[in-house]
Amino acid sequence: MSETRATPFHARTAVLNRHNRWHNRNGWTFASDYGDAHFEALAARNSAIVADISWRWRIEIEGAQAAELLSRLMTKDVSRLEPGNALKALWLSDQGGVRGAGVVARFGRNAFVLAASTPDIEWIGLAASQFDVAMRDVSGEEGGIALIGPYVGAVLKAAGLEANLDALAFRKVFWRGLDVTVTRWGEQNGYEIWCRNDDALTVWDRIAKSGVGYALVPAGLTATDILDLERGVMRPGRDYQAAQLGSDAHPTPLSLGLEQLIDERHSRFNGRAAWLASRASEKMRFVGVEIDSETPPAKFSSMIHEERPVGRVTAAVFSPALRKAIALVQIDVAASVPGTLLKIALPPDEHGDEQATGRIVELPFLPPPAAI
Amino acid sequence: MRDTRNYDAIVVGAGVNGLVAAAYLAKAGLRVLVAEARNKLGGHCETAAIADGFNAPISAHTLYAFDPELLEELKLGKQGLVFAVRDMPLIVPDAGTAPIVLGRDMRAAARSIAPYSQADAKAYPEYRQQLFSLARRMRTIWWNDGKLDLRANDSRVLEKLRQWSVFAWLDSWFETNALKAALAFDAMAGSPLEPGSALALLWRASQEMCGLQGAAALPRGGPGALVQAIAAAAQNAGVEIRTGVPVTRIHIQGDIVCGVELARGDMISAPIVISSLPARRTILELADGANLDIAARRRFDRRFGETAAAKVLFAVNGLPPRLATLASGRIVVAEGMEGLVVAHGQARAGDLPDDLAMELIIPTFADPTLAPPGQHIVSVLVRPVPLAAAGWSELKGLLVERTVLAIERVAPGFAKYISAFKLVTPEDMEAVYGAGACAAVSADRMLLPWKARVGTGTKGLYLCGASVEPMDAVSGRAGRITASMILMNRKS
Repeated sequence: MSETRATPFHARTAVLNRHNRWHNRNGWTFASDYGDAHFEALAARNSAIVADISWRWRIEIEGAQAAELLSRLMTKDVSRLEPGNALKALWLSDQGGVRGAGVVARFGRNAFVLAASTPDIEWIGLAASQFDVAMRDVSGEEGGIALIGPYVGAVLKAAGLEANLDALAFRKVFWRGLDVTVTRWGEQNGYEIWCRNDDALTVWDRIAKSGVGYALVPAGLTATDILDLERGVMRPGRDYQAAQLGSDAHPTPLSLGLEQLIDERHSRFNGRAAWLASRASEKMRFVGVEIDSETPPAKFSSMIHEERPVGRVTAAVFSPALRKAIALVQIDVAASVPGTLLKIALPPDEHGDEQATGRIVELPFLPPPAAI
Repeated sequence: MRDTRNYDAIVVGAGVNGLVAAAYLAKAGLRVLVAEARNKLGGHCETAAIADGFNAPISAHTLYAFDPELLEELKLGKQGLVFAVRDMPLIVPDAGTAPIVLGRDMRAAARSIAPYSQADAKAYPEYRQQLFSLARRMRTIWWNDGKLDLRANDSRVLEKLRQWSVFAWLDSWFETNALKAALAFDAMAGSPLEPGSALALLWRASQEMCGLQGAAALPRGGPGALVQAIAAAAQNAGVEIRTGVPVTRIHIQGDIVCGVELARGDMISAPIVISSLPARRTILELADGANLDIAARRRFDRRFGETAAAKVLFAVNGLPPRLATLASGRIVVAEGMEGLVVAHGQARAGDLPDDLAMELIIPTFADPTLAPPGQHIVSVLVRPVPLAAAGWSELKGLLVERTVLAIERVAPGFAKYISAFKLVTPEDMEAVYGAGACAAVSADRMLLPWKARVGTGTKGLYLCGASVEPMDAVSGRAGRITASMILMNRKS
C-alpha cells in the first residue's frame, strides 16, 4: 500500500470531522474523532454510534479445499462451521507464535471470508498456495460501518433493516435496492453493515437519518479503540508485535491472553505442537490494570510489585466509562492474581517522578454495550 | 492385502543412498526391506547397453564424491569394486591452440595455462591450495554431522564463498575466460550468478576419490559396478531387496510413520521409512504433505527457476585424432563465463541454449570392457538444459545436433565416427529415476546440519536421497548418515 486512500464514506466523515483530525490505518484515512472521543465512547454505552470500519482487512477464499485450508490455518475447526456463521480464531506460525487474529465467515460450502484487523497476506497467501483454493483481497471493494450501542437494534429497525442475528452470525440482505451484508462479527455486541463502495454514501445517509431519534453519533478511531481496550481486545501491530517469520515462537497465545481463541479439540492446526509445549512453560500472561489516575501510563511503562518490575504496559487509555485510566499489561504469571496492587510510573514530562497505583482486574474491564 | 512379514525399516528406492542406508541398518541387526520401482538397482548410477557391445554410463558418468568411509566399512573392494581410473585431469580444449590440462601436477598445470596468461599460471596453484585446504576443513560438516572449526582466515574465505557467485569468485582469481568457464562448469547446477554458488567448487574440492582430493574416478564396468558391490554388501548384511514394486504412498498416522503402500495395493508396515527419492516427491506426493506446518512445507514446495542436465551417449568406431589426445581427461566445453550465464538463462526460460556447455569423458580409454576392441564410448553430460514442462520431443533433435557440432569444433571429424547414440533427457531421467531436475546450489542447503535435512518432522520418516546431500551427487553419504541417526534415535 503505497498511498493513503479515502474510504467510500469519506465524503460524509470529512464533513463531520470538525477539527480535521485524521488517522491512518491499513492504508486508509479515518477521522480520529468528531470533536470529543470520550463523548463518542460514552455514546456507545448510552445511545448509539456509527463508525467507519473500512480499514478491516478482508479476503475471500474459495475452492474445493477452502475449508481444509482454513482448518489448517486457524486455531478452530472451520470445517464444522455452518454457512451463515462465523468464528473468531488465531493463526500461528509453525513454532506457535501468534501471527494474527480474525473472523472466518462461511458464505457457502466452499466460500469463506477472512476478516482481520491487520493484513497478513504473506502468510495466508503462502498457506493458500499449498491448497486448491483461489484467494482474493476484497478490502478495497467494499466499505463497512459498525453500529454499536443499546439502541442500534432500533436504529436498524427504523431503517428497515431488521436483522435479528445471533452473535457471530451474518446475512446477505437486499435492502431497498442495495445488496448489503449485515454481520455481528464485531467485539462490541453491535452490528456491521458491509456494502459495495458505490452504495456506501446511501448506506451512511439511511443509517444517519434513521438514527436521529436515537441520538446516533459518528465515532472516530480513538473512541472505538477505547471501546476495544475496555473489552480487553488486543490487536496485532497496535497492542503487540505479531510473529514475523514462519519459525517465530513468540508471542505465544497465552502471553497475550488469547488462549480462548484456540479450540482444544481442534487437532491439526498450524503450530499446535508448539502451542501445547508453550502452554506448559509460559511465564507471562496478560491482565488488565485499573489505575488510580486519569492519565494513562506510556506504552512499555514498568509495573512494580514489591519493589520489583513484574510487567509492562502494552496499551493504555483513559476510560470515560470508568473515569480512570486502564491498561493492558503483560505480567509475570506469579504476580498476576486479580487484586494485586502495582505501582506505575506516569509519563515524566507532565508528572515528574509521580507514581500511580493500579490494581489487577479480570478482563474485560467492562462488558460490551448492552442491547435494549 | 497386508504383508505379514515384519520389518524394522523400509527403504523406498534402491539408489546408492537407499542401498547404503539399508546395508548399515541391517548390519546393526534391523530387518530391512528395500522397495525399488524399477527392475534395476542404482538409480542414476547405471551402466546399460546403448548399442550392441557398448555399455555406457546412462546418467552419472564419473565418481567424484563417493564416501571413502563406505568403501572401507562396506568392504566394497571385496565385493569386486575396482577403479579403472583414479583421477581424470580437467581439460579445457578450446582455449586456443593448445589445450589447458589441469591435473594433479601443479607445475604442469601452470605450464599449460601460461601461453594464455602468465598471471593465471601463477594464480592457479595458489587458488587450488587455498580452496583445497579450506575444503578439507569443511569435511567435518560435509562428511559427517560434525561442527565447523575454522581459523579466522578460513572463516573469511568461507564467508566470501557463501556470499559470492561462482562468476565473481573465479573473476577474482583468473583472467582467461575459457579457464574460468571450465572451472565454473562443476557449479552449474544453478545460476553462476547466484550468491553462494561458489560454495559448489568448495564442496567439490572437499571430496576424495581413491585417496586423491578433488579427483574424478571411474569404476571398472562403469557406475553400475559400484551399485552391484553395494547391493552385494547390503544383501550379505541381510537386506531384502524387491524390485518392480513402486511405492505409491507413505502412510502416516498422527505424526508417526506406519508403513508404505505398494502399487498393487499391498500394505507393508514398519516403524521406520527411509526415502531415497527426492525430498519433494517423498513429502508432497508420497506422504501427502506429511502434516507439515505451513512454513516448513515451503521448503519442499519451491520449484521455480530450476534447470536440468541431459546425457548424450555416443558409440564410436574410433576417435578423431584430437579427441584421442585428450581422452584421458574430463573435457569441458563451454563458451566462456558469459556463455554459461546466457545458457543458464535460456535453459531457465525453457529454451535449449544456443551454446551448450558440456563435460565429455571417454570411459573406454581406461576400461576397454565397455566397448568392442578399438571402439569407444563418448559420454557427454550437457548442463544446463531446460526442464521443459511442455515436453522434450521438440528439443531432442536439436540437442543432439548442437552437441555433435560442439564436439566437432573441438575434434573435427567426430561425426564420421558415430555408429550409434542414445539421448537421455531430463524427462527420461524423471520417468526412469524419479528425479530429473538439478537442485540449484544454495548456501542454506549446503551449510545446514545433516540433521535438519535428513529428518522430516514425522517420527520414523527420514530422507536419504541425493536431495538431502549438500549437492546432488553419487556419494552414499546421505544413506550412511541417515542410518547412523536412526540407530542413535533408536538407542535413546
